[in-house]
Amino acid sequence: MKAIGKGSLASILAMGLHFTRVIMWIAFVGVSIALIILPFFSTLASLFGESLDVSKEDFFNVALTFTTIAVMLFVVNRLLEILKTLRFGSPFVKENADRFRGLGYALLIGEGAKVAFGLLSLIFDVDVAGNSSFIAWIAIIAVFVLAEVFREGARMKEEQDLTV
Amino acid sequence: MSISVKLDRVLLDRGMSLTELSERVGVTIANLSILKTGKAKAIRFSTLEAICKELDCQPGDILFFDDDGAPSPD
Repeated sequence: MKAIGKGSLASILAMGLHFTRVIMWIAFVGVSIALIILPFFSTLASLFGESLDVSKEDFFNVALTFTTIAVMLFVVNRLLEILKTLRFGSPFVKENADRFRGLGYALLIGEGAKVAFGLLSLIFDVDVAGNSSFIAWIAIIAVFVLAEVFREGARMKEEQDLTV
Repeated sequence: MSISVKLDRVLLDRGMSLTELSERVGVTIANLSILKTGKAKAIRFSTLEAICKELDCQPGDILFFDDDGAPSPD
């Protein structure tokens, strides 16, 4: 399979990520609205004659979903930027090393949020659907390693470009 | 960098243009410009050999070491 150009893995991945980004944006807007109106949901429901209570559990779950989607959106955007440089034939640039590092921090925040919400669920004795997995932490380390590999790759590429 | 390139001076002495040298040694003008302006990070022995052959000079006529105490960019 070709590395760049039409029909390449990069172009297929980019297409998939563009589609995912649209879905993510819709989900992000939806969850953001939910997060904003959730504290006032009981009041709003009573205006329509309904009696609906929003529990801490609901709020924690929506907040965790918001964090997860925000992280995923950030990751998808960075991956698209990296794939763009690959399509232009110059992936080994310092900017991509920074992007990979950014990805690492974003994933770290995402997993950290799961742990934080897990602790909150214990404190407030509620059930929050967020389990941090060991493999996710290994993946985060892998992304940071990849970032450093890219940094060195970018340095070597620059040196090669400036070798006469 | 402590290594400076004085290619322009040798070219002037020989009355040769960068374009002419580029054609003779088979190195692009862009690459020779990188070398001439001191932006190059490295020079291949093959390039140095070709330049010295065409300009009838020694590597020491082109490359100079000047330890001005300035740290290397790397």
